[in-house]
Amino acid sequence: MKSWLTDLPETFPDAMVIVDSQGRIVEANAQAASLFGFDKRKMSGLLIQALFPDQLPALPSGRSAQQDEAGRYLELVGSRSDSSRFPAIVAIMPVKIKQVTAVIISIRDLTEAQRTRFVLRRGVEILMSESRDRQALLGHLIRAREEERLRIAADIHDDAIQLMSAASLRLQQLRLRLPDQAVRPILDKLQEALTLASSHLRQLIFDLRPSGLEDGNLGAALRVYLEQMHADTGIAYRLDERLSARVPDRTALLIYRNVLEALANVRNHARASTVAVELLVIEDGCLVRIVDDGVGYDPADVEDRPGHLGLVLIRERAELAGGWCRIESSPGTGTTVEFWVPFGKSSTKPDAGHERAG
Amino acid sequence: MNPMFGQDGQRVLALITGIADLTADEVDRVTDAWKRVCPSDRATAWARLVRTTTEQERYQILAAASLARREALATAHRLRRADWAFWAAVSDAAAAVAAGARIGRDYDTLTAPLAAVMPPLATFPGRAPASVAGFTADDPRAPAVFSEGA
Repeated sequence: MKSWLTDLPETFPDAMVIVDSQGRIVEANAQAASLFGFDKRKMSGLLIQALFPDQLPALPSGRSAQQDEAGRYLELVGSRSDSSRFPAIVAIMPVKIKQVTAVIISIRDLTEAQRTRFVLRRGVEILMSESRDRQALLGHLIRAREEERLRIAADIHDDAIQLMSAASLRLQQLRLRLPDQAVRPILDKLQEALTLASSHLRQLIFDLRPSGLEDGNLGAALRVYLEQMHADTGIAYRLDERLSARVPDRTALLIYRNVLEALANVRNHARASTVAVELLVIEDGCLVRIVDDGVGYDPADVEDRPGHLGLVLIRERAELAGGWCRIESSPGTGTTVEFWVPFGKSSTKPDAGHERAG
Repeated sequence: MNPMFGQDGQRVLALITGIADLTADEVDRVTDAWKRVCPSDRATAWARLVRTTTEQERYQILAAASLARREALATAHRLRRADWAFWAAVSDAAAAVAAGARIGRDYDTLTAPLAAVMPPLATFPGRAPASVAGFTADDPRAPAVFSEGA
């Protein structure tokens, strides 16, 4: 046997032993001796079970591939000469050349691999934890923005608009009392400016706290915004609202904010001539699609750069509400923003009634 | 196995690593197949997918979809393909694989376009293979990395 096996093990990078049909080691390479802490010469004659106590299954005989499952890989625990243990992956290969039957066993120490796997797993856990922290932070940001909007809207309504109304009334009184007709055009201009400023402030209040939403009229609130956008930018729109159910206020507000965020991108970046907004009820939730015919963008270029908080917020709002979101684009093909949000916040437990496979 | 992508993490990884091996012709086929799926069916499948999973599972599914989409983007760039339907299809398929058996027939809706060039996607452990786009699960063109239980 030694005539052809003697030099074979030393050609392998891994630890390798060759055992006879009785399970005794007939050859071992230097790597095996080093791995198990033996003198290389003293390994000959050892039973292979000494290296893997109580673990190694019956060795294959090499009679046929079917019987022996040649080339098996096993994860075992190796035992060194000093009785210390280490994890190992073991490949078992029966060979039969010129009536000589032997089993080649290669052994690789997995200690380092397991350590690396542990470090990687920790890395993944840390990343996941940081990602969840980031999501929680974004959730707070979204809620804080909403609360701030409501506060600003209330302040404008209770303070600035009341003051402007009072100023307008006083201006009208002054107009009646002034005998000098030449001053009246100036007062008219002043009145006009006050009326315009009040109108702008009321529009701002609407943007901050869309009153239509409180009446459950999401479509109407969006139409008002789209009409204004058309007047401001010339971008044509198509609003396809197929909401067969009343959208709860919180969901409607989320949808409204997301649509406005998407439309802000259309206004500012897309160079689009048309935008289509579709709303329909799917699976007890609302599916929303905003599709423009603008210049589009290359996601590989854009998504790696910071400064896309709008798109991030659209996604986060949808996902925080238990929904999903897809924002896709290619150069020259416009951009599609699609998201679905459930009417009620989904719980952390899955629906029980949904079809299961099997 | 791989906590990042849920219980079927190995299959997700197999899918992701298989993307780089696709040819331009296969990318085009996936793109066309994705466009043939009814958008409402796809949206419904996604809605059910997020409904039937816990927050933790959703996180893993979305992570799988996101990473697969990245890989698809890189492959599309390398092959000079710019239709986003391709990376959307890959993202859908990765999400479905990460979700596994729990999403039932929605699995087929989401994986079918990519399964047109990766036939083993048409099945998952414990479930009979579905016939997708004229392929069967034991198609010889199946990448070896996708063998059952890979």
